[in-house]
Amino acid sequence: MAIDVLIAEDEPSILESLAFILKRAGWTIEAVTDGDAVLDAARRLRPRLLVLDVMLPRRSGFEVLKAIRSDRMLSGLSVLILTAKGQQQDRRTAEELGADGFVTKPYANAEVVDAVRRLLGEALAQ
Amino acid sequence: MRAPIGIRISSRRKALGRSQAALARAVGISPSYLNLIERNKRDVGGAVLLRIAAALGLDIGELTGEAEHRLVADVAEAFADPVLAPLGFDGEAARDLVAGNPALAAALARLHRAYAESRNERDAYADRLRTDPLLREMLHQVLSGITAVRSGAEILADVPDIGEDDRRRFVNSIGSEARMLTGVARNLLGHFESEAAVRRAGSPARELDDLIFENDNYFAGLEAVAISLRREVEAFGPFGEAALVEALARRFAVTVGRSGDRQRDAFGFPGQYRYDAETRTMWFEGSAIAATRQFQLARLYAELAAGDAIAQEIDTPLLTGEAARRLAFRALGSYLAAAVVLPYERFLADAETLHYDIEALRQTYMASFEQVAHRLATLRCPDARGIAFGFLRSDPAGRLTKHFPLPGLLLPTSGHACPLWVIYEAFRQPETLIRQLVRFADGSRYLFLARAGARRSNAFGDRRVHTSVMLACDLLDADRTVYARGLDLAAAEGDVPVGPACRLCTRADCASRQEEAALPGEAHFAVRAPLVPRSF
Repeated sequence: MAIDVLIAEDEPSILESLAFILKRAGWTIEAVTDGDAVLDAARRLRPRLLVLDVMLPRRSGFEVLKAIRSDRMLSGLSVLILTAKGQQQDRRTAEELGADGFVTKPYANAEVVDAVRRLLGEALAQ
Repeated sequence: MRAPIGIRISSRRKALGRSQAALARAVGISPSYLNLIERNKRDVGGAVLLRIAAALGLDIGELTGEAEHRLVADVAEAFADPVLAPLGFDGEAARDLVAGNPALAAALARLHRAYAESRNERDAYADRLRTDPLLREMLHQVLSGITAVRSGAEILADVPDIGEDDRRRFVNSIGSEARMLTGVARNLLGHFESEAAVRRAGSPARELDDLIFENDNYFAGLEAVAISLRREVEAFGPFGEAALVEALARRFAVTVGRSGDRQRDAFGFPGQYRYDAETRTMWFEGSAIAATRQFQLARLYAELAAGDAIAQEIDTPLLTGEAARRLAFRALGSYLAAAVVLPYERFLADAETLHYDIEALRQTYMASFEQVAHRLATLRCPDARGIAFGFLRSDPAGRLTKHFPLPGLLLPTSGHACPLWVIYEAFRQPETLIRQLVRFADGSRYLFLARAGARRSNAFGDRRVHTSVMLACDLLDADRTVYARGLDLAAAEGDVPVGPACRLCTRADCASRQEEAALPGEAHFAVRAPLVPRSF
């Protein structure tokens, strides 16, 4: 069963609110909380978009992104990276590894919803 | 950089109301030569300096102005600081200030030192903020917490039809995140407060330096204690490892053990030896050489038998913090051990007889190169002086890790020295003593001796870090050493032209320059310029 958005985020409170706002915007979502679980879940759930936190336990968001881009089945997956404010180097690294979009923590909920909507190719909310 | 010996000679002579000609006659040199000496145009040392001192009724130390020399170097360093450099004070100005108003010069030097230290501290903080793993972790927690709080608060504010369960969930989550952030903020404050407490003590190494300089690297009290300690040990047999082991066992119930493994202290720091105070056991790694064992056993005996004498020496306002007192206690414990292993009077006599042949002295006393070299730099007893040696030690990264200066010779206190100094060349020929005749830009000449070595490795794959030890003495004293043999000391053409360190060196024609000079009043010359001249 394909879903709209797979969230990879280890902080429970952030995951809770992300799940809430994306569901409320009308998408189906699933979540994983560590880097190792992302690839399996992506293959199994076939999401249209992955929201990927950089600081994940076990396997960093960068490693996950690199693995996705070199995986025949997953390489076309859109990836929205969550980076921390002030970490310019993180953003450059993610760009080089082929991220499709960025949102910087701490973000406004609308920024995340708009970025997801843009990457899914849907019209922005008025 | 020379201390203003000439100025001191002439002002003392004038104070005594004597003419240049009269003093020259008394000393047995020509008036024109004395004139050159008084204007600092000629080096003076050895017998002539002794005769001048005697004729002026002065102690040789007052005349060479060892204390002033260090002050002149400090003031010159302050003047060379980029903050003061544009004002154009030169080395001459530093000498004049020290000669004319030593108290003010000392104040300036102290202020500059405090300024330089706080600048280093600031850099260290900037580095820490960038790289400190603890701070990074806290920053991550803060960002995560704020992200969750902000996102949750927006949901509560923007979603009017939110269900009661969801509402409670987000209110609870905001509450717990806020509590987490409070904890992080507390940790962060605690982190900075403990940092500040550590920093407030100033630079402990620098305070230890001050204590050593203040005493001219000679501690008469400890030398006296050393004589009786050695006698105590000799009651158990001829002085050496066996007698030390016996003395430690009988007097302090200490056992000495050997172990194949590297020993670690309470903090996990690995070393070739370790004393376990609880079990009263001194451990040596199998690879520790006899010189190390003898020295460390003497050090243990000294700490156990004469801890009070060491404590008395470090009871001084120069040492302001715990860390400085700990460093000083350790250093003076080693000093006392050296004085026990290499007793002053005999060691000085042997050094003179053997013409300061360090290898030969090592054989006589079963001591390491560094132990002998360091002891030579402490032969400063006012009544029985040896050759005045400066001492310097470097790690393979070029960083200077130990130093004791020589009157007239400016040894950098930290960082690195001139890349041409033999202390660095010694790394390329380890376990070999290399000598070098050097000439500074002001014409002063020195004999440098260096040797690099490392402890024995204890296993394949054990990394041996070499250290290089250098002794320096005035060329005027070189002919008293074995190291002058076969060298034409009179011919200055063979000297290696060197400086103290690039930043303090005036030589524009040096191909080895790595860094621009920061010297006021000197023509500025750029290093690493484009091939085609540009305006910058």
